[in-house]
Order: sequence, then C-alpha cells, then structure tokens
Amino acid sequence: MAGLFEFLFKYRPSLFEEGRLALAAPGWMQVAALVAGGALVFAAFTYRRMRPAGASRPERYRWLAPTLRSLAIGVLVLCLLQPALVLSTVVPQESFVGVLVDDSGSMAMPDEDAAEDGTRAGAVREALSGQPGSLLELLAERFQVRQLAFGRGAERIESVDQLRFARSDSRIGEALLAASDELAGLPLAGLVVFSDGADSEPAELGDALLALKAAGTPVHVVGLGRPRLTKDIEVSRVVAPRRVLEGSTVEVEVTLSQTGFGGRTVNLEVEDDGRIVNVEPVTFPRGSSAVTARVMFAGTDEGAREFRFRVVAQPGEELTLNNERTALVEVRKRREKIFFFEGEPRHESKFLRRAVMFDENLHVVSMTRQAANKFYGINFDENTKRFDGFPTRREDLFEYQGVILGSMEASFFTHDQMRMLVDFAVQRGGGVLLLGAHRSFSEGGFAGTPIAELSPLVLYDVEQSSGESRPPLIQDLQLELTPQGRAHPAMLLRDDRSESNELWTTLPSLSAYQRATEVKAGATALLLAETPIQREPLVALAYHRIGRGRAIAFTPHDSWHWQMSAEIALEDQTHERLWRQMLRWLVSYVPDRIEVETDRDRFEPGSTVALRATVRDAAFREVNRAQVTAAIEMPSGEEVEVPLDWSVERDGEFVGSFVAAERGQYRVEVDARSEGELLGVAASRFSVDNLNEELFGAARRDSVLRRIARETGGRQYGLDEMDGLVEDLSVSREGTTVREARDLWDMPILFLLLVVFLGGEWAVRRRLGMS
Amino acid sequence: MFERYLEPPVHPDEVLREFYFTRLAYSGNRYMGGASWSVDFPKADRQFMIGLKRLLDQLDAYDYDNPRMATDPEFFRFPFLYSVEVGYMVLSPDEREHLRRYLLAGGFWVIDDFWGSWEWANLERELSELLPEYPIVEIPLDHPIFHCFYDVEEILQVPNVGNGRYGGPTWERDGYTPHVRGIFDDHGRLMVVINWNTDLGDAWEWAEDEWYPVRFSHYAYQMGVNFVVYAMSH
Repeated sequence: MAGLFEFLFKYRPSLFEEGRLALAAPGWMQVAALVAGGALVFAAFTYRRMRPAGASRPERYRWLAPTLRSLAIGVLVLCLLQPALVLSTVVPQESFVGVLVDDSGSMAMPDEDAAEDGTRAGAVREALSGQPGSLLELLAERFQVRQLAFGRGAERIESVDQLRFARSDSRIGEALLAASDELAGLPLAGLVVFSDGADSEPAELGDALLALKAAGTPVHVVGLGRPRLTKDIEVSRVVAPRRVLEGSTVEVEVTLSQTGFGGRTVNLEVEDDGRIVNVEPVTFPRGSSAVTARVMFAGTDEGAREFRFRVVAQPGEELTLNNERTALVEVRKRREKIFFFEGEPRHESKFLRRAVMFDENLHVVSMTRQAANKFYGINFDENTKRFDGFPTRREDLFEYQGVILGSMEASFFTHDQMRMLVDFAVQRGGGVLLLGAHRSFSEGGFAGTPIAELSPLVLYDVEQSSGESRPPLIQDLQLELTPQGRAHPAMLLRDDRSESNELWTTLPSLSAYQRATEVKAGATALLLAETPIQREPLVALAYHRIGRGRAIAFTPHDSWHWQMSAEIALEDQTHERLWRQMLRWLVSYVPDRIEVETDRDRFEPGSTVALRATVRDAAFREVNRAQVTAAIEMPSGEEVEVPLDWSVERDGEFVGSFVAAERGQYRVEVDARSEGELLGVAASRFSVDNLNEELFGAARRDSVLRRIARETGGRQYGLDEMDGLVEDLSVSREGTTVREARDLWDMPILFLLLVVFLGGEWAVRRRLGMS
Repeated sequence: MFERYLEPPVHPDEVLREFYFTRLAYSGNRYMGGASWSVDFPKADRQFMIGLKRLLDQLDAYDYDNPRMATDPEFFRFPFLYSVEVGYMVLSPDEREHLRRYLLAGGFWVIDDFWGSWEWANLERELSELLPEYPIVEIPLDHPIFHCFYDVEEILQVPNVGNGRYGGPTWERDGYTPHVRGIFDDHGRLMVVINWNTDLGDAWEWAEDEWYPVRFSHYAYQMGVNFVVYAMSH
C-alpha cells in the first residue's frame, strides 16, 4: 500500500506527515488561474447549447461531460500553481544517528527470512556491514553514525563484528537511556533500534520513552524475526507456592503455550534435583494457544528446592530452550501447631489425632471436655501453651497455626472467644477446621454467631424437637468428589489421580448430623453426599478463604470408620493420608509473625532485589516502631546486612533493596526488634541465574516495538524498508536541518487524473452523440 | 447366644451413640460350660454405664449392655471392648483374625476378672497366638491410663462379691497380687489392658450393695472411667 502511495504521489506518506504543502508559483499565476476559471465558464456554456442525439438519452448526463472537462482543467491549473512539499532536511554529515543493536541470545533465532543465513543476527550483520547499499552505508552518506550494542546497558561499538549475540537479557529501556546519554549534546536526528522486541525489564521502558519524548528524539525500530513462530511449545508461566511443609503435596499451576501443536498431547515433567517426581500428560486444545495444567507432587526433601517444569522437545520445534522453567520452593521441616478443641469424648477425634500423630510436621494438641468444666489435654509440651478450656487471650490462641473445632455447642463460648476465633483466621491467617457432630454447625446453635461467618456452609436456625437432645443422624452417606474435589491436593488419596478418584467411590459410607446443603458464595464444595431425606445433596466437605486464612467444614462425624472398617485393609493408609493432607493443607500457607519476602524467587545477575518484611506482635498486630535488619548470605558465603525501613504505606511493612551480583542461591534472614527486645526472625531464599526470559514469547514482539516508535514519534520498519528509514531520518525536525521544497506538480497521480478526466469526457461525448 | 439374658429396652443397633460398652462374647471355653464371657452380665455392664454417664456427663453413650462376637459384622463399629473370665477363653481362628485386626486398627480391649497362674497361662497362650509379635508388659503407674481422668496412685485387688461382702480374702486361687498389664502397639498405644488377680466387674455390679466395700467400687469405677477416657482419646 505504501509502495502504491509512493508511486502515485512521488514521495512516501511519512514525508507528507513530516512536511507541509505550499504553492511555489509566482503572482502572475493568479491571473492564469482567473483565465482558467473563465475558460471553465465558457466550456460549460458551449455544452449548454448542445443537445444529446436521441430522445432516450437521460437529461442528467448533460452535465457529465462539462464536469469532466472542468476537472481536467482544474488539474492543469493545479500544476501551473506548482504545488510543493516543504520539509526540514538534515544537513549532510552535520547530524548524528544512534544505531542500537540488541546483542542478546534471542537474536540467534533462525526465523528471519530477509537474512541470508536466516537468523535475526544475520540480518543485523547485513544491514550494518557498511557494504554498498547497506543501511550503514546509506546512513553514513548523510549522518554521523554511532553504533551501540545492548543487553543490559549499552556500549559503543565500532563495527558489527564486535557483536556476539549471546547476552542473557536485553533491557531496551536501559539501552535507550544509555544511548541518549552517550549522544547528549549532539545534533541527534534520531535513534534506530534493531530488536526483536524482547525486553527483560519492561518496567524501565516507560521511563525511558518518556525521557526521549521530552527530548524530542524519535526512535525508529527495525523489527527482527517472525511475529509468530510456526512450531513451538513454551512453558509460559509457573505459579508455585514459595514454601511448603516437608512431605506435603506441592500444587503448581503451569501454563503451556504452543503454535503448530494444537491437539497434541505432550508430557510435562517435574524434576527435583535430577529426579523426575511427576509426569503429567497435557493435551493442547485445538483452536487455543495456551493451556494451564495443575501438577501435584510431593515435596519430600528439606531445603530450598529448584523444581524444573519441562516439556520434552517435540519434532520440528523451532525453539526448545523455552521448554523449561524453574521454580524455587522452600521445603520446610518444622512442626506446625494445631489446637484441637473437642466438646466430648469422640472416636472421630481420637482417630483423627492418631492419623497425624507421627507426622513430623504437625503437632496436634487436643483439649477434650470429658465432663462439665473438666478438660483433658493431650500432647502439650514446652512448645505449646496449655490452657484449661478454650483460650481467652489472642496471644495464646494465635500461637497456633491451625484450630480444629469438634462437638462443642455455641453456648459454651463467649462472644469474645468466637470473635477471637474468627480473627484467628481473618487477621492472623490461621486455618480453622470445623468438624461435624451433633453439637456443631447449625445443630450446635452457631447460626447468627461469629462462627457462622467462619463457616463455609450456610448455617440456619435449628429447632430441637421436644425430648430429643440430639438431631437425628443421617446414615449411609456415600461421599462423592465434586469436580473441584477431584483436582484438589488434599483429596488425593493415591499418587495416581484416577486411582484416587476411583478409590473415593469405594470407601465405606459415613453418617452425619448436619443437613447443610448450601455453601456460601465464594466457598468451594469438595465432597457431596446424596441423602434419602433431602433433595439437595449434603455438603460433606467445603472450604473458603476468609481474610488471610481459610476455613474448612467437614460434616460427617465418623470418618474413623475408614480406619476401623472391616472393608478396609489393615495396612491401608487412606484415613491417615486424608487427614494428614487435610491438616497440612489447613496450615500450609499460614503466615508467621515475622515474614520476609522478595518480589520474585529468581533474578538475573545484577538485578535489584526488593526485600519486604512484615512485623507483627504476638497478637498479630502490625508493629511500625521496630528495628528490622536483613542479613543476606550470598552464594560465596559472604554476608551483608541491609537495614529495612518502615514503608509508611502499610502498617508493619519494612522494605529495603539489594543488588545481587553473584549467581547462586541467597538466603535472607530478617531480625526484628522493638526497643532492644527480639520480636522474631524470619528467613527466605531466592536464586540468581541467567533466566533467558527473552526466549519466552520469543517471536517478534510488535507490541513493544510499536510502542517505542509511537511514543517517541518514530516508526517501525521492516528490513526491506531501509531506504525509507534513511529518508525519514533525513527529513527529521531534529538535528541540524535546512528547509527544502520538493516539487509535487509532476506527481504521477496528477497525470493520471488528467488522462482519466479527458478520456472520460471524450467517452461521454461519444456515447451521447455530442459533437 | 444372648437370648437367655434380659434384652435391653432399646437394641444397640436401633440407636446410634458414640460409645457402647461392648462385651466380647467369645465362643470357646475350657471349663465353664461355654458361657464364661457372660459372668456378671448384663448387670455389671448396665450398672457401670449408669456410673460412667454420671461421671463423664459429656459422653454420648448407649445406656445398656452390648455383647458382640468378634465375628459380628458390626463388631468394628465398637472400638471399646470388655472381657471377663479369660482364664477359660478359647478363640476360634476366625475370632482371632477379627480381634487382631480390630486391635491393630485402633480398638481397645479391657480384660478383667481372672485369677492365678493357671488362668494367666491360658490368657497368655491365647494372646501369644493373637498378637505374637507384641509382648505383655506391666503398665507403670505414671502411664496416662492411671491419670487421664482420675489419678490412680495404687493398684488395688478388687475381690469378688462373695469375698468382698463377707470380709474374706481379696485373692482367689494363687492370685495374691493384682497386676495391670498391657500390650502396646508399634507406636506406644495401649491396645490391651489386662486386669489380673482382680475383679472390677463385680465391684461395678455390686456397687449399690451396702455390704460390698465402697473403696473397691470406688477404685473400680475410677479405673473404668480412665479406661474409657483413654480409649476415646488415644
């Protein structure tokens, strides 16, 4: 299209945008124009006297021939007025042009058809070779050219031979600012960027573009590579928890993108230290470029584990380096404390405790009411504060990560205690498990109490029938997984998911006192059970997030049958596994009083790592007046201290930063004190390595390139448009310029119009029989 | 098997409670004509339940006796088990298999009312076939089973009703010293509590008898309550 425009109008559209139109004809031409106007009137008059031959000719065609003649005369008059395009053009060799070349590894991609060797890098070499006809030669005819190579930062180069195309990242924003500094003070006609659009630090780009726009420096971009790879699979995104308990199921979401592999099933492998821990088949849907797979595997070994998520290279794939991503997950060996408060002696609580008794990462203490105001506590030790009954102080309850509430009626608790339990989940971020029994949920009188807020189930008022102290028991409940339950890590009773789903259908039936059939908006039901007495199925297991924490409701009261039943083999671990997983999941993401995090888990060498610590007191109230220091242990073993300051934006939030130059794994330990007293410590890890981010989404990123050009007043060019690039730079308003008027009277479009109008008039006259 | 005894007003299968005082009705017998399991039954069971429900007022318990054979299809629904006169007990292979599975899966068995070395030898023989890999050991007095509800500081010899009423000797045969022994599973949980040379059942059964010494009933109830609390929490 641009070529046709240039053929008809003599110059490229960009020149018309840059310049302004003017008439170059001298004053006498005004007279000529009047004469031409008179001629037009005469022509019309001569036609008026004529009549078309034959009565069938429509009267309206009478005006066609004079109109066409008038237009032809108009074109001639326009030519006589000598139209011209007035442009600011640079004075040869007086202005500078900066050429920035992406020197990163992605430039080695073999997807540039315009290059002889087919690579993006080859295209750059050809364009900047300095050979006759090359861009560099064209530029050098008119400009002083400065070449810069960029990856992270930009450096001057004298020749294209200095490019290696092997840098690990490309930061376009940083490079543009560096070039701007390098050429500061010089008459700069513009910058030319050779890039595939891959930008490792998109956050920096906006600032750089703003600065260049303010300086009036147009940035022209030459896009390299194909806008879409033909055949490629990419691990686009991995969302993994930063911390898990040792032995827990790690649940990770992996997004895979593809082009050219729609309908294909590939194996997604999870590797932990050279060991394949899971292989998940993933089928790419037809007609969609991306699919998200949920992968589950056990985090068995303590420490900071780098899990690799990899799709095995497929035949014909253009780029295989983007088939793998890594996530850093800290597998923690520690005992999360759970307080089990039970209102009566029950087999369920005994077997539940027994199921998790030997889990090294769970410490369940229980307080069971045996008789009115007589409690029996089990498993308390020096790490777990003991209290008779239910705690009355936040500090005591919030010491735990999880709470299990058994068969205890609402009237036992004070309002404050119930409120505190809600705060335990909402503010402290703890996990609360509400168990089914004849004194729990609606049947325990909790409707309308703060505990109703906590429950994922909708509670309702229960009217007790006279003479019966307990609600009737619903028996023969065969629990069924919901679709969400089938995908949930806590419901995985066997390593193989289909085996696990099958097992759920064979477990002995249970019974419940609850009649809950409705979960709250935002809550998720994982297990349902049909009942003979209700149309809607009973919700057997549901959960929801509440504030920072989560609450789970399990309504059957006798899951212990899955341990004792004669139908279950003695060595079967289903009951143990279910409760271990459920309790681990309950307390998996419970925050500590002191926490430290980095904004990501993996960084490029030289990146600035933002540290963020959260400081709370024993009642989990945020503390702003604290001295917080981060001790960073580098891979070499060297340790540096970084003081963290209160962010002011959020209570209890302390921030700082650190530049990570060494490759390897870092450990950050934060120490928080208030008035000299230690509030607590927290640790976190991150790793530094070449991430090769630009190999992900490796096709040419036109959106980035277009943005650079659009925001700075530049343009995007293909490799076959180098002449246009030089011409556009030549008519730049920047640099040392002079005014130049270019004739437009000889534009082919005017000649073409003249021919069309005169030819048309002749044809009309012939047709109408006018002579 | 149970027809000749007074039926409870509500059959245990018709109500659903958390706790049943379940008595093991074993089939084989070496001496007493086939029903040594039923000594003191059902009065001891029912009377114990009256006391238990008063003392553990939060326990959702069935009020009456619940004799079951180990081969009963519902046997595994009742993780608390009580047996007497095990000096004459003979378990069939089927019973043995069920009982073994029951104990290892989480069941709790209280053995009571057998005396002297001959009866001990019989029980020991049965247990060695039932749980051959698990030794019988003396339960120390600081074990939670002596303290989980009542603090029991001393093991008493509880005499049978005849001896207790009339101030006779507390022992029978050559069972002069009372013992509380047990079998622990791999994880240290008590599966079996053996009350040897003592008769807690009679003390429950005759607790209302003004001639039966109250200190024995007292002790027997304390031990019984502790057994239930332990069984329901460990």
